[in-house]
Amino acid sequence: MPYFLVAPAVIYLMFITLYPGVYAIYQSFFFVRFNQWTFAGLANYQQLFADADFWASLWNTFVMGSIALAIEFTVALTVAAFAYRDPFVRGWRIVFLLPMLFMTSAVSFMWKLAFNDARVVSDLLTRVGLIESNIDFLGKVWPARFTLIMTDVWQWTPFLFIIFVGALQGQDSEIEESARLDGAKWRQIFWHISLPMMMPIIAVALILRGIDITTMFASVFIITGGTPGGATETISFFIYRMGFKTFNFGYASSAAFVMLVITIVVAQTFVKRFFRPGRD
Amino acid sequence: MAMKRRRLGRFTNYFVRYLVLGSWGVFCAAPVLWFLSIGLRPRVEIISPQPIYWPTFTLDAWNMIWSVWPMASYLRNSLLAIAGSIVIDLVLAIPAAYSLARYKYRFRDDIGFYILSTRMMAPAIVAIPIFFLFKNLGLLDTVWALMLIYAAVNLSLVTWIIRSYMLDISYEIEDAARMDGATDLRILWSIIIPISAPGIVTATVIAAIFAINEFLFTLLLSSTKNAYTLSVALANFTGGSDGVIYNAIALVAFIAFVPMVLLVLVIQRHLSRGLTMGAVKG
Repeated sequence: MPYFLVAPAVIYLMFITLYPGVYAIYQSFFFVRFNQWTFAGLANYQQLFADADFWASLWNTFVMGSIALAIEFTVALTVAAFAYRDPFVRGWRIVFLLPMLFMTSAVSFMWKLAFNDARVVSDLLTRVGLIESNIDFLGKVWPARFTLIMTDVWQWTPFLFIIFVGALQGQDSEIEESARLDGAKWRQIFWHISLPMMMPIIAVALILRGIDITTMFASVFIITGGTPGGATETISFFIYRMGFKTFNFGYASSAAFVMLVITIVVAQTFVKRFFRPGRD
Repeated sequence: MAMKRRRLGRFTNYFVRYLVLGSWGVFCAAPVLWFLSIGLRPRVEIISPQPIYWPTFTLDAWNMIWSVWPMASYLRNSLLAIAGSIVIDLVLAIPAAYSLARYKYRFRDDIGFYILSTRMMAPAIVAIPIFFLFKNLGLLDTVWALMLIYAAVNLSLVTWIIRSYMLDISYEIEDAARMDGATDLRILWSIIIPISAPGIVTATVIAAIFAINEFLFTLLLSSTKNAYTLSVALANFTGGSDGVIYNAIALVAFIAFVPMVLLVLVIQRHLSRGLTMGAVKG
């Protein structure tokens, strides 16, 4: 009976993940030109591992992803720590969630306009006296990366924030209360009581956000297109470019397979430790 | 003296707290308001040598998206694809969640992890095969393709969220019903589903957020107004030589944004639990 109930979902997912996964691996051993498949052996992989663009896309994904994740985590935890017992914030919490409710493509256009096309960010920074002339955000490596990082931080910090607030509010307030009666300051309570208790949830939240961040695509597609000189090309964008711009499907599939292996290793290491499927 | 210092400390605490919260709130809300203003302004004002902050309002963009652009099609495609995908998800996920939450059997945890692991898969990994799959099925540039793919993207999430709410239901209710001779499916339908309704609603809203955001698959699988959704249609508001039409983009963004805000207000209390797929019992 339980197998019968779970089977439709599993079959559906296999159809949409397992079959394409196997197809991608198979395709990665071929040169594909339109409908012409020529067996290539490991040639795609040899070319891939010698391809500076490929390594650059992995590096860019890692660098932009980890910086964005670090900022998002720090800000979300700080804001959550200040907000979770605050009745005033409780009513207005939706304000902190607004960025998450925009479509990623819309957010990307918004920041493209603010940073580049309308130069609002430059203008505001000039007005407060931080810079003297407009910055060409998309023309240089780090400013372009920074633009993508900002876009991600603005949209997804709320994701971590709402999880942390939920976790903090879910904790037993009596423990905090008794610590307060013993004379502990709220900062000490947070560091020594609340924070250690929410460690598993922090891990879960970071895993989920970390996975989504490595798939960063829409903002790259809309804001930078990988420029300048490929400095903002993520691995997802690399696969897309190889597949659907140069129509080198076999080659793109080999990159997809490498990404799949990385995903599986990460999932095996982290996910099993922090998610529990059923009652023990 | 000590008293005074404590009061001062308290004041600093409050000051720092509201400074942090306030500036973060402004940082979240100000761009939203600014972008809304972009949607209500004439194009000449948006990209000018010096940014213009005090707007003159016009409904140019609003009229344009409905007359020049096939906005009605984009809206219909988004709604159909999202609603259809959620129906597929619920039909598949509710029994699966029930199975994972209420039974003990071999490979249960492995099956649960398999379902979860599909959440970890980057769209780019399967993008090319998915493209060919739908091409062979003759479903390219249709809403059906989007429905099926959104359902697949969200299925793990929906299953795990509903499962988490089903785990909370006590076994006594179920046992009592079974004593009265109810079958498993009957128990699922008349006891488990009604009690886990908050979880089902939460899963639905979160699935809708992720579906409306979906970009890569939609970009690959759609090529005309037959299947363009709001999210991908935005990238086409570039009007050739006119450059990017930001005021239209901003308005379309808000058309998708308002229903999302309303939906999230409904499930606000369940949001952190839903987003962690049940790991937080907030």
